[in-house]
Amino acid sequence: MSAPPLSAPPPARPRAQTRRERRRRERLERQDAAIPVELYGLRRGTLTALTACCVLFAVFILAPVVWVIINSTKTQANIFESFGFWFAAPFEFFHTFANLFRDVDGDGTYSQWFLNTVLYSVSGGIGATVLAALGGYGFARFEFRGSKVFFAVIIAGLLVPITLIAVPLYLAYAKVHLINSIWGMILPSMVSPVGLYLMRTYVELSIPRELTDAARIDGASEPRIFFRIALPLMVPGVMTVLLLSVAGTWNNYILPLIIFSDNNLYPVTVGMGLWSQHASNSGDANLYPLIVMGGLVTIIPMIALFALLQRYWRGGLLLGSVAN
Amino acid sequence: MSETVLRSPAGVIAPPGAARGRRRRSVYARRRGRSGLAFVTPFMIIFTLFMIAPLGYAIYQSLYTTKLIGGTRFSGFANYAAVLRSGPFWGGVIRVIVFGGIQIPVMLAIAFFFAAIFDLGVARWGPVLRAIYFIPFAVPIVVSSLMWGFLLDPAYGPFNRLMNAIGFQNFNWLSANLMLPSIIIIAIWEWTGYNCIILYTALKSVPRDVVEAAILDDTPLWKIILRIKLPMVRPAIIMLVFINTIGAMQLFIEPTILNNYQAGVVSNTWTPVIDIYNTAISDGEYQLGAAMAVVLAVVIIAISVASLAFRNRRREFA
Amino acid sequence: MSAISLGKLTKVYSTGVKALDGLDLDVRDGEFVVLVGPSGCGKTTALRMVAGLETITSGTVAFDGQVVNDVSPRHRDVAMVFQNYALYPHLTVAENIGFALTNKKIPKREREQRVRSAAAALGLSGLLNRRPAQLSGGQRQRVAMGRAIVREPSVFLMDEPLSNLDAKLRVQMRSEVLRVHKAIGAATLYVTHDQVEAMTMGDRVAVLHDGVLQQYATPRELYDRPANLFVAEFIGSPEMNLYEASVAGGELVLGSQRLALGPAEAVLAPYRGQKVIAGVRPEDLRLGGAGRADQAAGAALTADVRVVEMLGSEKHAFFAIDAAAAGASALAAAAGEAEADAGLLAEQAHNGMARLDPRSAVRPGQRVTFGVDPRRLHFFDPGTGLAIR
Repeated sequence: MSAPPLSAPPPARPRAQTRRERRRRERLERQDAAIPVELYGLRRGTLTALTACCVLFAVFILAPVVWVIINSTKTQANIFESFGFWFAAPFEFFHTFANLFRDVDGDGTYSQWFLNTVLYSVSGGIGATVLAALGGYGFARFEFRGSKVFFAVIIAGLLVPITLIAVPLYLAYAKVHLINSIWGMILPSMVSPVGLYLMRTYVELSIPRELTDAARIDGASEPRIFFRIALPLMVPGVMTVLLLSVAGTWNNYILPLIIFSDNNLYPVTVGMGLWSQHASNSGDANLYPLIVMGGLVTIIPMIALFALLQRYWRGGLLLGSVAN
Repeated sequence: MSETVLRSPAGVIAPPGAARGRRRRSVYARRRGRSGLAFVTPFMIIFTLFMIAPLGYAIYQSLYTTKLIGGTRFSGFANYAAVLRSGPFWGGVIRVIVFGGIQIPVMLAIAFFFAAIFDLGVARWGPVLRAIYFIPFAVPIVVSSLMWGFLLDPAYGPFNRLMNAIGFQNFNWLSANLMLPSIIIIAIWEWTGYNCIILYTALKSVPRDVVEAAILDDTPLWKIILRIKLPMVRPAIIMLVFINTIGAMQLFIEPTILNNYQAGVVSNTWTPVIDIYNTAISDGEYQLGAAMAVVLAVVIIAISVASLAFRNRRREFA
Repeated sequence: MSAISLGKLTKVYSTGVKALDGLDLDVRDGEFVVLVGPSGCGKTTALRMVAGLETITSGTVAFDGQVVNDVSPRHRDVAMVFQNYALYPHLTVAENIGFALTNKKIPKREREQRVRSAAAALGLSGLLNRRPAQLSGGQRQRVAMGRAIVREPSVFLMDEPLSNLDAKLRVQMRSEVLRVHKAIGAATLYVTHDQVEAMTMGDRVAVLHDGVLQQYATPRELYDRPANLFVAEFIGSPEMNLYEASVAGGELVLGSQRLALGPAEAVLAPYRGQKVIAGVRPEDLRLGGAGRADQAAGAALTADVRVVEMLGSEKHAFFAIDAAAAGASALAAAAGEAEADAGLLAEQAHNGMARLDPRSAVRPGQRVTFGVDPRRLHFFDPGTGLAIR
C-alpha cells in the first residue's frame, strides 16, 4: 500500500476580502449547497416549460406596472384612445409630473399628499418597530404577572378587522379633537400586533438565552442588556418589522379616509381615491394622467425601499423560523 | 405550596420541588418581572388606547340607538337584531366568503407551484422572477385597483379591447356578473408574490437530505413536490389560509375604486366593510355600523378559529 | 471484480475549495469498507459522489466495472442511510420503508410483504403505524436502515449513521449494522469520523485527510503498520507517542537517552546519523523495568511521571522525557507553516503517555523505567512524514 506524504495544511484565509468577493463566494456556496437540477430526472423540455410558466406569470405581474410607466407619458385622450401598451405622441411626462405639484382640481396637491404619506408611514413605521422590538423582547425574555394573558390578548388583536377600530376611533376623535390631526393617524399606525409577534419569534430563535443570562451574571442592567447585547442581534428582525409596518401605513386607506376631512392632510391613497372619484364624475379636469403619474410616483419609493432592504428581509419570521 | 415558602426571603434555598412548584417568586424574579413589564408597557399603552379602547367603545356604542326625537338611549341588542335580520349585510358576507373561497385556494395553488419551482431550482432566472413577483406587495391596494381599473375599463381598457378582438362583443370585465371574478384576479395579482415568498421560505427549510433520500428512492419530481414537500409545509399553508381569510373578509378598497370605472355595479352593501362604512360614516348611523363591525369581527374570528382547530387536529407530525 | 471502484475521484467546489483529491478505492462484493477521517476531510463528499448526489469534478465511479458517472442516482441502485436519517415526517414507518417500492410500482401485496420482513429483521414490527416523531433515536435509525435494505440494493452507503445516538446505543447498533450487512451482502461504504467505529466495523478502512487518501488497509494493518504520521496519530486511542529522535551507531537517540534498536536497526540503516521521528503506542510501554526480551535488546526508557489517571480497567500515566514531541502539528510548526509556540511545547507538563495495568504502583513525581520492544517502535521520515520500513 502506497501512502502519500502529508499534504500541506489548507492555506490561510485571505485576510482582506472585499464585499464583492464575499458576495460572490456566498453565491457560489449557495449554488454548491443546492441539489443539482439533473438529479430530479426531468424529461427534456421540462425546464423550459416551467420557465415559460414562470415568465408568463411575470408578464401578468408586470403588465399593470408597464402600463403605468408607458401611460405616464400620455395625454388624457391618448390614455384612452391609443393602444395601452405602446407610447403615443405627444410626450407629456414632464408636464404631468409638474402637475403633481399643483392643485389641479381643487382636491389637493399630490406633492402634499406624498409628503403626508412619508410622514405618516415613517413615523408610524418607526414607532411601531420600536414598540414591537421592546415588547417582543419583553415577552420573549421575561415572565411576569399576566404576561401570558397580555400576549394572548395581543394575538387576538390580529383577528380584529381594521374597520372595527376605524369607526369607533372616528367617534372618539370627534370627542378629543383628533379629527384632522396627524396624531390621529400616526398613533394608531404604531399598533402592530404582527410586529410584536414577529419580534418575539425572532428573539426566541436568534438570541440564545445563555447570552442574555451571561450578561446578567456579568452585572449588566436590563436596559443595557437590551441595547448592547440583544438589539444588535435583532437587526434583521427589526428591519423586517420596519418594512412591514412602513408598507402597512403606506397602504392604509380606510383610517385616513374616515378621520381626515381636510384635503391637505390626506395621504396619497385617499387623495388618489378622491381624484379617481372626481375623474369619473367629470371628465374635463384632465385628472387621468395625474392618477397614472401619481401611481407611478407612489410605487417607485416602495420598490426602491424593498430592493434596498431586501437582504435584511426575513420572510421566514412569519413562519417562526429565521430563515431568509 | 405553603405560605412560608411563598414568603421566604431571597437567598434562602427553597426546599426541593419549590422551584418547580407554583409561583415561588423571589425578590430577584419579581424585579426581573418588573423589567419585563417595563419593556412591554409602551406597546401595551398604545395597544390599549388604539385597539382595546376603540373595541370597547364600539361594543358600548352598539348597544345604543340615536333617534331624531328622543336622543340617544340604551336599546340593548336591538342593533344586533337589525344586523342579523339585514338581508343586504349577509348578502355581502356571503359575497366575501365566496370571494375568499375562490381567491385563496387559487392563489395559494399558484403561489405554491411557483415557490416549489423556485425552491427546486427547476426554472431559469429564479431570483429575478422572485423579485418581480414580490413587486405588487410594494403597491398600495388603492393604486393597484386604479391601475387595474384602467386595464379593465369597459370602454377603453386594453383587456376589454383584447376580448372584443377575439370575438366577445361588448365584453365588460366590470359588469355586475364579472366584477367579483375581476376582483379575484386583482387580488391574485396583489398577493401571490407575498404568499409565494413565504412558501418559498418554508420549502427551503425542508431538510435537504429528505429530498435526496427521495431522489435515491427514484421519486418523480411531481411526487417530491406533492407527496414530500407539500405535507412538510402544511403548517405554513394553514397559517397563510388564516392570514388571507382575515384580509379577504375585509374586502373594501378594490370594489370602491373599481366602482369609479363602472358606476352602479358596486352597491352600498356590496361587501360588509362597504356596508359598515356607508352606514356608520356616510349615513351617520354609527351605532348600527358598530354593531355590524362587531358581527363581522365575530364571523372572522369564528372562521379563523375553525381553521386553527383544523391545524391542531393534525398537529401530531407538525 | 470490485463492486465499487473509484478512480482518481476529485471534487472541487465552485468556490475553489478542493474537497477530494484523486481518491482511488475499491470495494469488493460483500465487503464492509469504512471511510474515516477528521471532519472536513472529504469522506462525506466521496460517499455522496458514489451515490450521485454530488457532481464529479474529475475521475470515475464504477459499479461492477461499469462507469456510472453519468447514471442518475435514481438508476444507480444505491441505498443510503443519512446522518439525520432523512425520514419523511408525515409518513408512517411502514410508508417510509415502502416508499421506494411504490415508486418502482411494485404490487401492493409484495410491497407489504417486503416491508414486513424488513421491519421484522430490524425489530420494528410493532411500530409500523407510528410516525417518525413518535420514535426514539435508535428506532428512527432502524427505520432509516429498513428503508435502505427493503430495496435489496447492490451498493449500500451509510453517512455517519450512528453519530446521533448516545454512546451506549451506538455500541449496540454497531453489531446490528454489521448483522444487517451480513444478511444483505451488498458492498457497503460506511463514513464515520470515529476511529473506534472504523476499527471495529470495517473489513478494510480508508483513512482520509484534507481530501487525500492516507492509507487503505485492514484495521490490523492500520494499527500495526501506519503508513504515515497522520495515520499513526489518528488511529488508536489514546494516541501514539511521537518524538523527534536521531539514529546513531545502532541506537536511537531520544533526548539524552539511547535505546538499543536491535532488530529494527536494519530498517533504519539509510537514516544513520540522521533525524527520524520515533513513535510508540501507550500500551507498548511496560512498567517495572525492562522485560526479559527487551533486556536482551537493551531498550528501556526512563521517564518522569507527572499525572496518573485511574480508569478502573487500566491506568494512564502521563510522563515527560527530554525529547521533543513530534507529530503532524509539531511537524507543520517545524516547516514554518503555522505559528506554533516552541516555548509552550518545551514547557509542556508531559509529552507522553503509557497505558498500564490498573494495579501497577505508579505515582506522580516518580521516575520510572519503561521497557520497550524495539519491534513495536514506529519510525517516520521527518521530512515527508512517511513510515520507514
